[in-house]
Amino acid sequence: MTTTNPATGQSLHVGMLARVEGEGGMDIRIRDGVVESVALNIFEPPRFYEAFLRGRRWTEPPDITARICGICPVAYQSAACAALESICGVAVPDHVRLMRRLLYCGEWIESHTLHVYLLHAPDFLGYDGAIEMAGDHPAVVERALRLKKAGNDLMALVGGRAVHPVNVKVGGFYRLPTWEEMSAFRPTLQRAFEDALETVRLVATFDFPDFEQDVDYLALRSRHGYSIESGDPVTTGGLSFPVADFPRHISEHHVAHSNALHALLDGKPYLVGPLARYTLNFDQLSTTSQDAARQAGLGPTCRNPYQSIVVRAVEIVYAVEEALSIIDGWSGQPEASVPVPPRAGEGMGASEAPRGTIFHRYVLDDEGIIRDAQIVPPTSQNQPSVERDLQRAAQAWVDMDDEALTHRCEQTIRNYDPCISCATHFLDLRVDRS
Amino acid sequence: MSIADAAPTAVVAGLGRPDRGDDGVGAEVVRLLSTQDLPGVSVQVLEDPTALIDTWAAVPVAVVVDAVVSGRPPGTVITRDVGARAEPLSSRAWGADASRGSSHALGVATAVELSRALGRLPDRVVLVGVEAGSVDFGFGLTAPVAAAVPGAAAAVLAALGLSHRPERSEPVDPAAPAGRVEAG
Repeated sequence: MTTTNPATGQSLHVGMLARVEGEGGMDIRIRDGVVESVALNIFEPPRFYEAFLRGRRWTEPPDITARICGICPVAYQSAACAALESICGVAVPDHVRLMRRLLYCGEWIESHTLHVYLLHAPDFLGYDGAIEMAGDHPAVVERALRLKKAGNDLMALVGGRAVHPVNVKVGGFYRLPTWEEMSAFRPTLQRAFEDALETVRLVATFDFPDFEQDVDYLALRSRHGYSIESGDPVTTGGLSFPVADFPRHISEHHVAHSNALHALLDGKPYLVGPLARYTLNFDQLSTTSQDAARQAGLGPTCRNPYQSIVVRAVEIVYAVEEALSIIDGWSGQPEASVPVPPRAGEGMGASEAPRGTIFHRYVLDDEGIIRDAQIVPPTSQNQPSVERDLQRAAQAWVDMDDEALTHRCEQTIRNYDPCISCATHFLDLRVDRS
Repeated sequence: MSIADAAPTAVVAGLGRPDRGDDGVGAEVVRLLSTQDLPGVSVQVLEDPTALIDTWAAVPVAVVVDAVVSGRPPGTVITRDVGARAEPLSSRAWGADASRGSSHALGVATAVELSRALGRLPDRVVLVGVEAGSVDFGFGLTAPVAAAVPGAAAAVLAALGLSHRPERSEPVDPAAPAGRVEAG
């Protein structure tokens, strides 16, 4: 929808940024062909969940925080459990960690597939959206739905339900899937493996504008393998610190134009997400996924946000492979969980959501009542860098007509797969040329 | 053979987020319906609209209950047939996709049209919409929307060609995965 304001010239107003999770908003001001400012206007609800958690019991965050994001509930559950278990002095057995990793693979598969095919691919193929794309490429969209369903079904297998997995608790799970159940799921994963490789081949054919990000990347690095469910932060700037130290390095600030909190790393913008993971942990990817990445034209690092769609596709391959590997190597340990008696204290936890690192911090009293909670989702950590990229992109394409410029800016935002419902509320897009 | 094992002849899906105020109306309507005896009808709560594409794939009739934001008075119940025999929706249909507090980029209209493009849309898909008063964070429905729940449930039954049904002896948990035994 375009409106014209006679006083200030043309302004473009799009009611919703299409094809991102939730809603968000963007204002671009251009004067005499120069981009003066770009602002992501994010109307965040008043940190509802952090407030809601205060006064709750230490066993409740997995169920409560899973509601924050319908696409990445496991990410919230995982970081919450890690933080709470650390306060209570509990380390879950390795087979429980592996089962959590298996559940998380399901989330990576469904979230990345949704984004790659239904949210982002239409940009590269010249379609307004997935529906138009489905008309011309039904087999591609069928593959997307099949692959997404495999991810959802894996989450249901381990988590008890595809959305808001009810089987997760502090200390582990209420019930482990049986070997028969996991075995019966293998054919679905084998099909998903082929579909995932096809996905990399498809996105490798897309045209990518040249664009290099120079900002610091942050991701978790784990001794267990490519970071998903655990690890400690490392950065491309050479920083490395335990998760427990994250409040010393990551600070959240209110920005005037946006009601979401913007996060800074030692006072500077930074980025989390697939490019960060890939660039920092490429050596830990499987041989198959490394080969798929190379055949798609990627090197061992990637700093072009437009190629994030390729990195996500590679991560789908890895997640499917890892799921098969965990099932095939299952030790058969029957213990679904360990007890987590409450203790007073403060604890931090982190995991790699599909969109990037998510941090949780809790403070408990000696009865296990939550006195404070802090949730730092990946999307709010990326906001300052998204704005900088948007400013560069808008300047690079400032001579385009407004509709084309709007599309380019929306595409740029979609590079980040922003889970805006994790941080924000409604979205408008305004381009103001004066 | 339980209801969960037999292939359903119709699907009723309540959509929305219970933590976003009136966006939880779909789940509330489904909860009311689960107390009634509806043989052959699979009644479930869904929070991801794209799951509809698989959920309704093999049934001739589907009814979807959801909050909408369309400028009508809160609590207004509207119905619309969007099945394979009906006209295609625009991507901004319902207003709900565009302007409510949806946590999903792909809303109901997209699920419908994607299914139509892939030949997976049931002949009859009835959307029962309840106009939201507020979709701010918080649990619980506003008064006019809560008052509309029985009327919305009646609209679902009408869409299924059923009148008021007797109560089930044991209500089905509409949030439980169909056919699965919950951990005891």
